[in-house]
Amino acid sequence: MEVLDGSPKHAISRYVEWLITIVVLVNCSAVILDSIPEVHADYKDFFHELEFWSVMFFTLEYVLRVWSLGVKFAANEGGAWKGRKGYIFSPFGLIDFFATMPFYMHVFFPTLDLRILRVLRLLRILKLSKYNTALQDLFTAVNSERRAFGSAAFLLVIATIVSASLMHFAEGHEQPQHFGSIPHSIYWAIVTITAGYGNVEPVTKAGEIIALLTGFLGVCMAAIMTGIVASAFSNQMSRKKAAYQSQLRQVLSDGVVTDAERESLRRLQQQFRLSDAQVQAMIDEHNAEQAS
Amino acid sequence: MNEATAQSLGPLGRIQRRVFEVLDGAVMDRTSKIVEIFIASLVVANVVAIILESVQSLHDQYEQFFHVFDTFSVIVFSIEYVLRVWSYGRKYLGTEPGLAWKGRKEYLFSMFGLVDFFSTVPFYLQLFMPGADLRVLRMFRLLRIFKLSRYNSAMDDMFEAIKSERDSFSSALFLLLISCLLFSSLIYIIEGHDQPEVFPSIPAAMHWFVLTIISGWGNVDPVTYFGVALVVATQILAIALAAILTGVVATAYTAQVQRRESLYEMEVREVLADGVVSEEEKQKLKTLQAKFGMSDEQVEAIARQVETEKKPRD
Repeated sequence: MEVLDGSPKHAISRYVEWLITIVVLVNCSAVILDSIPEVHADYKDFFHELEFWSVMFFTLEYVLRVWSLGVKFAANEGGAWKGRKGYIFSPFGLIDFFATMPFYMHVFFPTLDLRILRVLRLLRILKLSKYNTALQDLFTAVNSERRAFGSAAFLLVIATIVSASLMHFAEGHEQPQHFGSIPHSIYWAIVTITAGYGNVEPVTKAGEIIALLTGFLGVCMAAIMTGIVASAFSNQMSRKKAAYQSQLRQVLSDGVVTDAERESLRRLQQQFRLSDAQVQAMIDEHNAEQAS
Repeated sequence: MNEATAQSLGPLGRIQRRVFEVLDGAVMDRTSKIVEIFIASLVVANVVAIILESVQSLHDQYEQFFHVFDTFSVIVFSIEYVLRVWSYGRKYLGTEPGLAWKGRKEYLFSMFGLVDFFSTVPFYLQLFMPGADLRVLRMFRLLRIFKLSRYNSAMDDMFEAIKSERDSFSSALFLLLISCLLFSSLIYIIEGHDQPEVFPSIPAAMHWFVLTIISGWGNVDPVTYFGVALVVATQILAIALAAILTGVVATAYTAQVQRRESLYEMEVREVLADGVVSEEEKQKLKTLQAKFGMSDEQVEAIARQVETEKKPRD
């Protein structure tokens, strides 16, 4: 379980991680190359073999994961099935399942649409995100600002509907092919907000003003979204720094730094991805405080 | 509402105050939550109806239904409006004369009060003056979507953040205004002779400027060298402006989050000061966390920091 979960860094665990990553990358390149008709015609058998063996590989991985995660929690903490259920219904568990399972469905129901199966095969690339901690950082940062994102999305929806409706009232009679109904002009509003000035030239003065305002709103929306992300990241960074600093202070408070403490600090630094320079600055700051 | 004030109001006043509490929703209980959800869903249904009604085929097929639905919503919103005006008289508890109208006036002239009024009342106009332009009425109906923003507390956060940085925002807007005047006059002077059909006047040149700012290219190719330089400068300005706006928003949000974290930290410190965390204090911290929309992780980090800071002193 420890090898697959990768929590304590063993050498074997790292090899397994590398192996899975390489198989996933090979698989995804195969899916992409397979979509070129000439390549598909020439190497059809090879792709088929590759697909079969990688499905076997991923199935083995999945079964091992489900089996081994049974010991994640001790018996008194909920027993074997708590860890298993936690994995099976986690995003990674679902990805592992749906990236592999369609192959078997194809075996049992040969009439199924092949295109859907191919798309599901591409899900395998998401398996890589398990090994990318920066991506997880991104999700936590966005998650901590989800209210701000929610309000930005709300504003976007309101802006789209209002500008689309106003445009419909202003130009619906003049250009019924573009603004004949509100759903139709919602498409125009989205294009204008996301890409700038839209695909349709307004012909009335009122329409012109609405179009310019909508375009300007698009610029503002982009600024708001970017601003929220930037602020989420910078807040997350300062939180991490504060957490590391308090840990550091605790270690330095008794004047002695044991090996175990040094090891835990190093691990924390790696987890928070702080640079050595940042850590050194914190130590200096602490020393200066001590001296004064 | 506590017992003492309840006694002083009398039965009608008590109902009035209760209606106020339910509609205002500052203190959430079951009833006010149900009322909130009901009004919010009705508003959403209304907006969907307005959108669908604009499709000609649907309009012809379900005209009767749309009409009945609209009448029903107008009745509900009218009742809501009347109840709000009536009950907001008890917003301030006290006996001085004029206090009842203070609460009412505040509501009537608040943004929400005006939205409530203008999204409902024009329909009575139609009853009296059947000849009124329908398109204008439909535009007023669209105002109902803004009723939703009352229930989105995150929107208040956003406006608060923007308001605290209003100096930076207004300087960015000022920059935009100045450059709009300057660049459009310049392009009119330089290219007005060569392309009189696209730059016939300064307002037309302003239109070109705004287009360039929002979409990067204003549909016009310059024909003189000065014109080319001006267009390039305008495009660079557009990028700079987007960067400035983004930076200001980012700063505003960061400042807001930090302000809240330090407020929360102060509260935690106060709670931990006497060494005992009572049920009441725990509840208070929970409410504050919910109000600030902080994640459990953030709260934990703050609590841990306060605790480690306390240790050396002990």
